[in-house]
Amino acid sequence: MYFLLPSLCLDITWEVRANSGQFHRQLQRKSFLFFQWGRYADNTMRSHKYTLLNFLPYTLYEQFQRFANFFFLLIVVMQCVPAIATIPWYITVFPLLLVLSVRALKDLVSDQGRRRSDKQINSRSCDLLTSGGFQTVQWRNVCVGDVLRIHKDQIIPADLLLLYSTEPHSLCYVETADIDGETNLKFRQALASTHTTLASGSLEQSLSSFNGIVFCEEPNSHLYSFRGELRWQEQTQRLDTEHILLRGTVLRNTDLAYGLTIYAGADTKIMKNCGKVIVKTTQVERILNRVVLGIMVFVLLVDLLLAVGSGVFELQVSPHVEVLAALGGDSSAAYRAFLTFWGYIILLSPAIPMSMYITFEVIKVIQCFFINWDLQMYHADNNKPAHARTTTLNEELGQVGHLLSDKTGTLTQNRLLFRQCCIAGHVYGHTQNNHPLEPLPHPTVSISQPLDLSWNRFSCGGLQFWDQRLVERLVKERCPQSREFFTALALCHTVMTQWKEGAPHYQAASPDEEALVGAARELGWVFLSRTRDSLTVSQLGHTYQYQLLMLVDFTSQRRRMSVLVREPGGDLKLYCKGADIVILERLQKDCPHRESSERALDLFAQGCLRTLCVAVRCVSEAQWGAWRQALEACQALEACQAEAPGREARLEELHNCMEQELTLLGVTAIEDRLQDGVPETIATLKQAGIKVWVLTGDKTETAVNVGYACSLMDPDSSLLQGDQLRQLLQSSDPDVRIHQNKKSEIWSTDKKMLGDNTTIVINGLELAELLAVPEWGSRFVALANQCQSVLCCRVTPGQKAEVVQLVRRHTSSVTLAIGDGANDVNMIKTSHVGVGLYGVEGSQAVQNADFALAQFRFLGRLLLVHGHWSNQRVCLFLRVFLFKTTSFALVHVWYSFFSGFSSQSVYESWFISLYTVMYTSMPVQCLAIFEQDVSAEGCVRWPEVYQKGRRMEHFGPRALAGTLLYSLYSSLVLCLLPLGVFQHLALDLQTLAVTIGTAAMFTATAEVVIETKYWTKYNLAAVILSLFLYFLSTLILHSPRLHSISPKHYIFPGVSINAFGEPVVWLTVLLTTCAAILPSMAMQAFNVVLTRSNTHRIHSQRNSELSRVNGTPFHRGAARRRSSYAVSQGKGFGRLITSGAGLRTAAAPRQSTPHPAGTDSIKEHHLPHPAGTDSIKEHHLPHPAGTDSIKAHHLPGNAHGEGSDRL
Amino acid sequence: MKKKEEETSNRPDNTAFTQQRLPAWQPMLSAGIVIPGFVVIGLAFIGVGVALFVTSQSIQVLERDYTAGDESSDHNCSLCVNEASCLCAVHFTLVQQFEGPVFFYYGLSNYFQNHRKYGVSRDDYQLSGDTSYFTDPQDYCVPYQYDSKNRPIVPCGSVANSIFNDTFKLYQIVGGQRKQVPFDGKGISWWTDYNLKYRNPSLVDGSLAKAFNGTVKPVNWPRAVYELDTSDASNNGFLNQDFLVWMRRAALPDFRKLYRRITEGEYEKGLPVGNYSLEINYNYPVRGFGGRKKVFFSNVTWMGGKNQFLGIAYLVIGSLCIFMSLVMLIVYAKYRFPDEDS
Repeated sequence: MYFLLPSLCLDITWEVRANSGQFHRQLQRKSFLFFQWGRYADNTMRSHKYTLLNFLPYTLYEQFQRFANFFFLLIVVMQCVPAIATIPWYITVFPLLLVLSVRALKDLVSDQGRRRSDKQINSRSCDLLTSGGFQTVQWRNVCVGDVLRIHKDQIIPADLLLLYSTEPHSLCYVETADIDGETNLKFRQALASTHTTLASGSLEQSLSSFNGIVFCEEPNSHLYSFRGELRWQEQTQRLDTEHILLRGTVLRNTDLAYGLTIYAGADTKIMKNCGKVIVKTTQVERILNRVVLGIMVFVLLVDLLLAVGSGVFELQVSPHVEVLAALGGDSSAAYRAFLTFWGYIILLSPAIPMSMYITFEVIKVIQCFFINWDLQMYHADNNKPAHARTTTLNEELGQVGHLLSDKTGTLTQNRLLFRQCCIAGHVYGHTQNNHPLEPLPHPTVSISQPLDLSWNRFSCGGLQFWDQRLVERLVKERCPQSREFFTALALCHTVMTQWKEGAPHYQAASPDEEALVGAARELGWVFLSRTRDSLTVSQLGHTYQYQLLMLVDFTSQRRRMSVLVREPGGDLKLYCKGADIVILERLQKDCPHRESSERALDLFAQGCLRTLCVAVRCVSEAQWGAWRQALEACQALEACQAEAPGREARLEELHNCMEQELTLLGVTAIEDRLQDGVPETIATLKQAGIKVWVLTGDKTETAVNVGYACSLMDPDSSLLQGDQLRQLLQSSDPDVRIHQNKKSEIWSTDKKMLGDNTTIVINGLELAELLAVPEWGSRFVALANQCQSVLCCRVTPGQKAEVVQLVRRHTSSVTLAIGDGANDVNMIKTSHVGVGLYGVEGSQAVQNADFALAQFRFLGRLLLVHGHWSNQRVCLFLRVFLFKTTSFALVHVWYSFFSGFSSQSVYESWFISLYTVMYTSMPVQCLAIFEQDVSAEGCVRWPEVYQKGRRMEHFGPRALAGTLLYSLYSSLVLCLLPLGVFQHLALDLQTLAVTIGTAAMFTATAEVVIETKYWTKYNLAAVILSLFLYFLSTLILHSPRLHSISPKHYIFPGVSINAFGEPVVWLTVLLTTCAAILPSMAMQAFNVVLTRSNTHRIHSQRNSELSRVNGTPFHRGAARRRSSYAVSQGKGFGRLITSGAGLRTAAAPRQSTPHPAGTDSIKEHHLPHPAGTDSIKEHHLPHPAGTDSIKAHHLPGNAHGEGSDRL
Repeated sequence: MKKKEEETSNRPDNTAFTQQRLPAWQPMLSAGIVIPGFVVIGLAFIGVGVALFVTSQSIQVLERDYTAGDESSDHNCSLCVNEASCLCAVHFTLVQQFEGPVFFYYGLSNYFQNHRKYGVSRDDYQLSGDTSYFTDPQDYCVPYQYDSKNRPIVPCGSVANSIFNDTFKLYQIVGGQRKQVPFDGKGISWWTDYNLKYRNPSLVDGSLAKAFNGTVKPVNWPRAVYELDTSDASNNGFLNQDFLVWMRRAALPDFRKLYRRITEGEYEKGLPVGNYSLEINYNYPVRGFGGRKKVFFSNVTWMGGKNQFLGIAYLVIGSLCIFMSLVMLIVYAKYRFPDEDS
């Protein structure tokens, strides 16, 4: 090999040889059962677990990991030992097999679903270069080192190194919606060397002979960093993310792209990012497991005590009773007690509710069907019903304490609409949707008529702006300012055009910009095309060409962008648009319409619209000459010193002095369209006591704006951010726990704030610092819990997950994450409950979510109705089930005091087996399926009801302890009352068994009857049917026929007929049942007596809530005016424009006169750049894994620097 | 049209079940229903309790303990302490007519017939007349499976082996003369046991005894199972009434079992006033474990024998309900007033 590894990249060990399939296939990763070997993963997606071979061992292995199942297996084994078999083995094996097979079947079915979706992905096709040219193969056949050809709009099958594309300079555009949720295009560019060399000859030939070797880092999950180098033709060239096409992205606007597979399948960045499949268990389940464990320990303890009792009995009593002494043989009392211990373990094992687990799962599956079936969560527009993908988390939906939501695509539609504008003091457009709490009227029902734009041949529709006045003024050329305003919009941007069907389509790095240029197009100022130094615009049908002299792009520091153009008439104009604060301070003195525009800004801000100010400056030739000289001087500086420290500042200064003395043209207002019903849903959820956090990759300003719009924050709420927040977290004394009690103190550093009304705003950088210090994390969460809401901006997918973890770690509350894009996958997986929205494109979120919804607004119903019901039903079910099993099984404990601690069963063994699975299962299942304590409408109308679930009122320690005590009492009653009756009667043990059995069965049924508040026909049928089944099967099992077949197994012939013929048995059953359920009845009755006051409380609470809301004056002062600016979310195209790299039509010769910003387009990528100075440097920084993107935020100019760090 | 169907193909069904809008009865309970409800339940229980108690009071019971070793004027069974088998008698006087039909029970106490190991020590196959188990009794019967010479025991097991073997004869003393009161031993066991559960093996050459060839009697038994009742040939084998009664295990350590009924002749209407002597063939040892032996004469009603516990329990539960309704009333009265306004 030709090189040693370069010293700076110690971990660059991943070697990919192009067109050398043999080399890579040898090292392909293979696996058998649990073993894996090999280095390179193939490109097959394997999310399924089972194969034909491993299904049985795997599922058994999984199932016996459940302690209950394992325990019962032991019991079965023990029952085969005659000395301790207190009940026959088939009594336990029957339910155990049922449990195992139902669960295995369920797992198999869900695995089949995964297998199908895997297959669908794996069989997607792509073009692979073979010795015989390109052939279409399936994704699964792609291997590391293969060269692929990607067509326009194809999904990229693996992580590729871009070698060549049909676009000039081997640029290509990708859409990363599936990875980061952003729908705007990003560009990638091949290395200059591959571009030029491969293009030189026949492409296929040169590609097949391409023998470069890529050395890069091992597969990792960092989506936005890549380090590697290409060694080819005796040269080593650095590679970074710019050259990489990631799996899951979509090729756009590029006819063909050729790439070398670097990572395939499980090694790809997106798959590495998916994180491990975490099996989520719910809080209720964990409590349940603990309770079951507790019962188990209790039972073992009781077993032990009973065994001691047995020992004493064997020692004291048995030796004197001839019959018993003989039975013991010559074994010692201790040994016999030891045997009895095991006998009691078997006898009392029904107290451990094994079949509860399976019933529990069945019920949850049914509840999931209810979610899937809900018409009110069905979205007709995309024909998507709600879908519960995980069947185990229903009750968790009823306990959510923290909702963590993505913004783009989740709260907003990611559709930006030009809504209003203010030109020369006149506000155009209607001010609908101003009030965030009002439902959004559908556009079609608007009173306004759609604009008549038939005169505009470039109109493509899509403008949601109704004001004929403006059109008239424009068309009739009455208002020069408005013409100037739209000229500015058509010129001052970095949009690129693409012609489709005779109309221009715009590609913008920022959706805001696209909306503005699009609006200008609709109104007649059509941006037609651009070259490196010219812009062609059609104004009301007349085409003009403007010479582009200078373009200064947006950065988050500058918050404005400018273009300097020479008008066709020869005048020089500087158009500038930007955030209001920035523009207003740059206006010339006594600029007209300033005050009216500021009023308009306030108005737009109230309407939660994003605003931008547009201004113009007329520049004289003399001024331009001076500036040009200064610029050239900068350029010269750059040429001799690559990274001159002063250059950037000088440029900055120069730009600054150009953007002065502006004349305000107007204000634009763009609506970041919220999804339907978002504000109402968030308001309802907040009323239900759920803390709503919004985590977005978007900019702070946009996020805040949306936060107000979707009623995440009250109109008058204040923001706690930046240094204030830092002070609070850092200040030496605050021990947050103290301050939680005394709310006022925490604000001592900042007295004007009130917790209830404050929103914490934090960005990714601050968050990274915060996460680094553990104490801060807990303080932050405690602080956040006192605030109204939290907004996290500019966070990476990894950070979203970390925030979820932060909340999980420092609170006990259940977190729910909702998102629509691949960037939310991590968060969705980390949270207790993950909800995915069906996005416009991409289904990564849904694939990984526990619940899939079509719209954000359905979340309200999912949580408040389904969540509440599921939670309440599940908890009720578990309590009743625990009661019915323990009360029935613990009877044996009491009876042992009368049977010489001999582990004599009180029941017939068949009864024990059938009691849980047949006699008492149906009513309690119906209870768990149909019960509604509050109607669906009630759940939504009184969101406060939801808090009951979160406070674990149904399944908290108190409720559980109550249930267990109650069942202990019931078992005592079930044993003692019949024994009391029988003591003076000549009735035998088997009659007693039937009596107690019937009473136990009645008790369990009666308990369900008491708990049922919602009697459907099914509930009634279940109760009647289970009673019927009990009597029927008792009579069958006690029939002489069965006895004659197998006398040993059916030893109760005729008992039930005799017993049911005795009035005293019935009287005893009635008495025992009533006495056993008396506490429950009394409890219910007391609840009824006290309920009136409770409902009253709910109502009054609700009223006070309302009055508080109504009482708040709706004001949004100018001081709080929020301007947000249309900075692109990704890397802008500004640099490409000025360099001319992306322009097909670029007519300008390469070595043109020195241009303000552009030099050689290829070199340019490595040169410092006003905005992106540090983009390269930052990748050199050795940084700990996972924090790279965070580090990047430290660097100035980053926001517009490297597209990589943005999410 | 087809396209439209496709567009809404995933639309969930709009049925009452899927939309969870099933018609349902939601009992709207209020204090006005609950409190009277409890009163009604309480009163019902008290009513039943009173009825049971009164019924129970009307039942006459005569109970005599005849355990050997006790000095008692009633009986002379103290003589039987050491003798393996002895005759003794219990004397009692009826001062009022004992209404018939009179049931005669024997009772044992501190006797764990409900002990598990005792209970399983039997072979149901043998008892259902399956002769293949005669030669090869099941292991449950240990240590009464084979005798010392390794011959199979039929009926095997501890339950059969420990059969109660005291016998009783009742005499009325009329003018110094003993007049035997006839005991009816038929039908004292369950009909199902006699007719269905227990079966004698098929006769061999017309003889029940031959069916038991090759087996031995339980060690404690004086006679084999086919000659339990010497007076009635049909009352032998596994279908012997006393055997059937004994084999039905008692639920508690203190228990009673039906021995005979007095339903015949002049005693059909009951036992008249007078002196009686119960002659006991005292065999069954209980002193070793501190057990007691008793006899009971009782008449029965629809609710079985005398059972005060049931009546009292009903009364207690009923009163508890009433008490709770009172508490609820107080609580309700206390909390009611703020609500009435709204």
